[in-house]
Amino acid sequence: MHIPDGFVDVPTAVATGAVSLGVVACAVRKTSKNLGERTIPLLGATAAFIFAAQMLNFPVAGGTSGHFLGAILAVALLGPWAASIVMTVVLVVQALGMADGGVTAIGANVFNMGVLAVFAGFGLFYLLKKVLPRTRSGYLISFAVASWVSVILASAAASLELAISGTVPLSVALPAMVSVHMIIGLGEAVIATALVAAVLAARPDLVKSFDLPLETVRRAPGQLGMRLSGRARFWSFVVGALVVALALAVFVSPFASGSPDGLERVAADKGFETAATEQPVWRFSPLGDYQLPGLGNEKGATAVAGLVGTVVLFALVVLVGRVLGRRRVAAAPQTAGARPIPPPGRPSDRSGTS
Amino acid sequence: MACAGTAPFLTETRTGGSLVHRLDARAKILGFIGFTVVVVTTPARAVWAFVLYAVVLAFLIGLARLPLMYVLKRALVVVPFVLVVAIFLPFFHKAGAGGYSLGGMRVSGEGLLVLWNAGAKAVLGVLSMIVLGSTTTFPDMVSGFERLRAPKVFILIVSFMYRYSFVFVEELRRMQRAMASRNYRARWLWNVPTLGHMLSALFLRSYGRGERVYVAMLSRGYEGTVRVLGGGRFGAADVAFLFVLLGAVVVIRVVSSL
Repeated sequence: MHIPDGFVDVPTAVATGAVSLGVVACAVRKTSKNLGERTIPLLGATAAFIFAAQMLNFPVAGGTSGHFLGAILAVALLGPWAASIVMTVVLVVQALGMADGGVTAIGANVFNMGVLAVFAGFGLFYLLKKVLPRTRSGYLISFAVASWVSVILASAAASLELAISGTVPLSVALPAMVSVHMIIGLGEAVIATALVAAVLAARPDLVKSFDLPLETVRRAPGQLGMRLSGRARFWSFVVGALVVALALAVFVSPFASGSPDGLERVAADKGFETAATEQPVWRFSPLGDYQLPGLGNEKGATAVAGLVGTVVLFALVVLVGRVLGRRRVAAAPQTAGARPIPPPGRPSDRSGTS
Repeated sequence: MACAGTAPFLTETRTGGSLVHRLDARAKILGFIGFTVVVVTTPARAVWAFVLYAVVLAFLIGLARLPLMYVLKRALVVVPFVLVVAIFLPFFHKAGAGGYSLGGMRVSGEGLLVLWNAGAKAVLGVLSMIVLGSTTTFPDMVSGFERLRAPKVFILIVSFMYRYSFVFVEELRRMQRAMASRNYRARWLWNVPTLGHMLSALFLRSYGRGERVYVAMLSRGYEGTVRVLGGGRFGAADVAFLFVLLGAVVVIRVVSSL
């Protein structure tokens, strides 16, 4: 998400730079006023941590990966003003020292990750904390949701800036960026929440935004955040994936590009598109061109079609997975639960493959 | 971008005896940032101007005796971004009559100009920051910014961040090595909680160490500023460097939009 030089045009760079400069100047004034004995090292340590954590790519699926953002983590530890400064420091050091993100795009990058992600995320975090029950889980849930949304907002702002600059088309870039970051944001939320839960358990004095009595966070030592069994982990992933897919289908698909995709484009160029429409493979395709018939509103119809399609596809995949899974279980009856312990002294046939 | 290898962190080729290494940090900060700003505002159609900018940078890279492969390898960070722009091109600037055909896709001249604009500026910007970053030590850079009157909070945070980042990165590397030696590789989204636990441990451990470092500093008389001997003067060489570098690029820039 670190925009390089040349990707934003001069007006966009100047506008985002001016906003960022104003906010960060205000943050510097606010933070400098109440610098406690231990504030500076905590700010520095958070900056260093976010800097290091942004180098750790986490997996999304198979080969793709995203990196940690950490804006709401900084908010939770330090409050929004100091968080904004810390994110700015990290971005400036990355641009000048690591050549990651352009110098002339610093305004835009700070705006996305140090102003918008921080303050919008903080607002949401604050609201959710008010709405949800005042317990440890209520706090952690608000934190997780705010983290997720902050990543999505930052990515949406980045694609808007690139589109305004004329570097990428908005109708393709926005849905693409937002949908990828909806998934990356899940990783962010899980990591950041596990982290805050751990810090709350070990050093609750470091979490500035935690305003509940400390007795609520004293838990059994060594228990950091969630501990799920393999099965529970699998199902929580399935449910999470379904929620994201549904959100994508309903909220993003109507704004997807109305222009033809690559294949349709080629078809139009080569003149066999009409052939396709005249002889459908399946005459009564229920969701033709991703639209439900009988709904007046085109965007609404696309959203509903997306919803139905997603649910059907999901059910299908679960079904296929169960069938295939059962067959594999039948072929290899000894799975994790019933693994025999090799008797001592005899080399295990599993050695080297685990 | 991931860089979880075993390469030294933040310290590669920053200490060298070349002319560029010896310049005052302020001159280099202003010079290279000014260079990038001028490059970014140059109209994309003036292709020859970008070639001249590249020549100026190549001259500086040669003067600083930076290994060419190292510089080029680090410049690869912009590749994914340029690829993204390239992928979107066929959807964006639909080719009319006078388009170009690229492997079955048709792209307009205007679209290619967008790609060239973003690609050339991103590469030049990254290269100039690589030269700045690899000829200036981090403490020099921080003191340069301090003397350019950057806000004190920033300077304090950055210097602590610099100190702590070694602790954090070393700790992170140790954990990654431990993970790799047990053949664990996070591949799917549901492996993310493991990374969450790892990062939690990283934060708590490193923060505890950082706190001890700070207390040790306080007990040795630290009061918000690190005193350095000398500190360097903004000499004639620095003035000349700034004047020649910015003069050259401004001339190229002005001629390019004539």
